[in-house]
Amino acid sequence: MKIISVNNLSFSYDGEHPAIKDVSFDVEEGSYVAIIGHNGSGKSTLAKILMGLLNGYEGEVKLFDTVLSNQSITALRKRIGIVFQNPDNQFVGSTVADDIAFGLENHEVPHEEMEGIIHQYASEVGMIDFLDHEPESLSGGQKQRVAIAGVLAMKPDLVIFDEATAMLDPKGKREIADIILKMKQENPKLTILSITHDVEEANRADEVLVLNDGQLFLSGKPSEVFAHGKELREIQLDSPFLAMLIEALKKQGIDVPQGINDVEKLEEYLCR
Amino acid sequence: MKFSLGRYVPYDSLIHRIDPRAKLLAILFLMICIFFPYQSWAMTFAVDGAIFLLLVVLLYMTRTKIVDILRSLKSLWFMIIFLLLIYCLIPTTEPTFPLAFEVAAWNWRVYWDSFLQAAKILLRLMMMIELTMVLTSSTKPLDLTFALEWYMTPLKVIHFPAHEIAMIISIAIRFIPTLLEDTSRIMKSQESRGVSFSHGRISKRVVSLTSLIIPLFVSAFMRSDELANAMECRGYDPRGNRTRYRLLKAKWYDWVFLLFCAAVFGVLLWFSIDPRFNALLLFPAEVH
Repeated sequence: MKIISVNNLSFSYDGEHPAIKDVSFDVEEGSYVAIIGHNGSGKSTLAKILMGLLNGYEGEVKLFDTVLSNQSITALRKRIGIVFQNPDNQFVGSTVADDIAFGLENHEVPHEEMEGIIHQYASEVGMIDFLDHEPESLSGGQKQRVAIAGVLAMKPDLVIFDEATAMLDPKGKREIADIILKMKQENPKLTILSITHDVEEANRADEVLVLNDGQLFLSGKPSEVFAHGKELREIQLDSPFLAMLIEALKKQGIDVPQGINDVEKLEEYLCR
Repeated sequence: MKFSLGRYVPYDSLIHRIDPRAKLLAILFLMICIFFPYQSWAMTFAVDGAIFLLLVVLLYMTRTKIVDILRSLKSLWFMIIFLLLIYCLIPTTEPTFPLAFEVAAWNWRVYWDSFLQAAKILLRLMMMIELTMVLTSSTKPLDLTFALEWYMTPLKVIHFPAHEIAMIISIAIRFIPTLLEDTSRIMKSQESRGVSFSHGRISKRVVSLTSLIIPLFVSAFMRSDELANAMECRGYDPRGNRTRYRLLKAKWYDWVFLLFCAAVFGVLLWFSIDPRFNALLLFPAEVH
């Protein structure tokens, strides 16, 4: 089943300069897709359109086989969870528990069930000891983990990360990345769309879409996309460490076969 | 930045545990009875003294620090001068106490009554401030918001947006530390560019304040925009039905506290209205 289906999408803020030009792609159920691009490439605009926050685009956006419109958005939002960039600006509740409860309250989950759900998801993201804490006593990474717990508590079918790690330190980034992988393991049907400019994170995805100047520049498996190191550098994107290493090895005349997608496998291959 | 007035002090006292709705109403009862009028000075002294003792007990129970109490009363010095001036200028018609001083040339006589009157109002204002402190230092702002929302709920019948107002207040409270952090960050960055907020002429300082206020407003609006998006994406609909995570349940001691404060209110109201009680206590000079 196609979770997201975007056909010939174009959008412009001012009617003159297009922010998105004729973009089409599909996201299958259970996949982990990363959209990367440098600043101004249109990835945030695309994210806003998918969340139903921008209107007036050309083309068609389908979520769960339903055309996105002002009428369908309320029902669709019940199945979509979004984690935003700024940890402070999405923390609604006055404590961790209240914030996780916020989405549950909106979706009219009975009061008796809330406590159990909050405990379950708070422990899933490792925030169970912080339930009574106020946001100002938490780090950025901890606040993002709370945001993820709040999203997961609503049992979404699709989770969109809108540059969720952009404002975090390396430790916070790593924690969020680990949680995303854990989420995938626990629920293989969960679809994840991550909009990011962190190529290391994109390298862990099943599929990578590269946006440049509002157009789809490259797409495919991370190993395929990051094999185009030269083209990516031309549009101001780096390759992940692994892809750069493979490229450097090839230059030295050491050929690395396709399908090697992490450092351990590469190490194993080279030692053989 | 520090707030001392009205800040919540986390402590597990009996007063802290009282249901915010009961506490709000009970404190309101006490506040009103501070300002009941009595006909005789002796009665006023007796009642105000009793309320003062009750207040001391409440403050002790909430573990309010003496320093915080003194700090909260610091701004009253202007009131002291103002009250003394007013009561000294108003002539006393039926003095109970002896003459304090007189300026015969202006036919101006000031009796000790004027000073006592000023002291009475001052004491009552102080008790009012301290009662507010008992409430705010023992109740989380969010719980107070819940209590307010609960009392406003019946107004929903006339389409009064009780829930929206409560949500606005609780988000405002939630963002106070964030905006304070923004303020100090902007101040530091503007100071590093040579703006001075604490030196120079007042007119110059006012001008330099704009370089703080404008970025602060821009940042606050950006935050609110993102927050609105986040709330919308999490399914928030102010007019829709919601369930509640925090439910308030009244316990027996909530009722005891509320009934006690209501009883104090009732008895003092009776004392104040019924002429027999109103003049229960009299100084010898007050017997006419």
